[in-house]
Amino acid sequence: MSEFCGCPGSRMLEFQQEDTPEGGAEVRIASQLRQWPIQLHLVSPEAPYFQGADVLLAADCAAFAMGNFHNEHLKGKGLAIACPKLDGGQEAYVAKIKALFEKARINTLTVLIMQVPCCHGLVALATEALRGSSRKVPVRCMVASLKGEVLQEDWL
Amino acid sequence: MERFLQSPIKDLIGRFPALGTILEDYAIGCVPCSVGTCLLRDIVEIHNLSPGDEEELMGRIAAVVAPGQAVAIPRSGRDRAAGASKVSYSPPMKMLVEEHRRILRFVALIPALTAGLDVESGEGRERILDAVDFIRSYADRFHHAKEEDLLFACFDEGLEILQVMLEDHRRGRVCVQGVLDALGRRDAGEVSRNFSEYGEILTEHIRKEDEILYPWMDRNLTTRQVGELFARFGAVDETFLEAGQRYEAFVAGLEARYLDAKAEVVR
Ligand SMILES: [Fe+2]
Ligand SMILES: [Fe+2]
Repeated sequence: MSEFCGCPGSRMLEFQQEDTPEGGAEVRIASQLRQWPIQLHLVSPEAPYFQGADVLLAADCAAFAMGNFHNEHLKGKGLAIACPKLDGGQEAYVAKIKALFEKARINTLTVLIMQVPCCHGLVALATEALRGSSRKVPVRCMVASLKGEVLQEDWL
Repeated sequence: MERFLQSPIKDLIGRFPALGTILEDYAIGCVPCSVGTCLLRDIVEIHNLSPGDEEELMGRIAAVVAPGQAVAIPRSGRDRAAGASKVSYSPPMKMLVEEHRRILRFVALIPALTAGLDVESGEGRERILDAVDFIRSYADRFHHAKEEDLLFACFDEGLEILQVMLEDHRRGRVCVQGVLDALGRRDAGEVSRNFSEYGEILTEHIRKEDEILYPWMDRNLTTRQVGELFARFGAVDETFLEAGQRYEAFVAGLEARYLDAKAEVVR
């Protein structure tokens, strides 16, 4: 087939992978999730688990791509997930992230996105919220490859 | 090899002078360091070389300290997953780097400040005391205190690299005391010499922090610690708000006086 020229975020790929022992069902990995709900529209900045917390704002796809998502990225953090490409009502997202900064007085925000271009929209939402917030908080952006490796990690 | 990795760099360079040249090839400037008590292992880790460069460097070091012997070359073992090609400071480190910029603007004016030193008149002495006040209040009580009380406290206080930094702070304080003592004796030469030495110490010290210490700390601080440091630095800044503006005005005033005067002469 000729070179792909559509949206890289929807481009079809298949990864050839050997089954590894860690991927087998015999290894049980405990969940590090310590709250519900997790979807950004549903979470409340008033929730006790956000107060003063380190918060992870993850793109919906990230947890599926990253084999060690729970232990390496979620552990010890409050969580919100969103898809900047498909979700509606994204003005509410900006307001909610701003409330996490100002009302929940979170300690840090880590925005974990996939490498596809459309996913950077989530970083843009966090940046807009930070710009409008009266309280400044360290915000870090992590970019994951489609195979779940961390490609880039930068503080905004 | 393990024994050498646990040795202070100054002792090693003393025994094997070729090591100094080898380290310089990797932009590791231990030879001119005033203290030199860092362990070789920490130095290799702290400079965050690429895996290839690190292996090559260790091989060259091994060839000098244990020539002709087959030695196991240990790796520094730090996590490279994040990749660290370019420096991207965390927000609290950015705050400190900003403060370095202001201190360096002052240091850049030391040659002009000491060129026509007047230790006799009230006005001349006032000018010297103002510079001492900037160093003591802004560079030391504000900036160095943030480092010593908050940032360094996140790490093991016995770390050699921290001891080296604290020693630089201490040497800076000795110079400032030297300025005041010399001013008391109306000794313009000594006032000037102490200011210049202070400038040299701080220039080198800030370079070490910006290029080596802070990036290494950023790689080792947890996300939690980054957020907490940012909040604590912010609280210090809050109490220093008015003074911060005053010291900015002081440096800008010196720049206007000396740099503009210099521009006049050139014209
Ligand atoms: Fe320092
Ligand atoms: Fe410093």
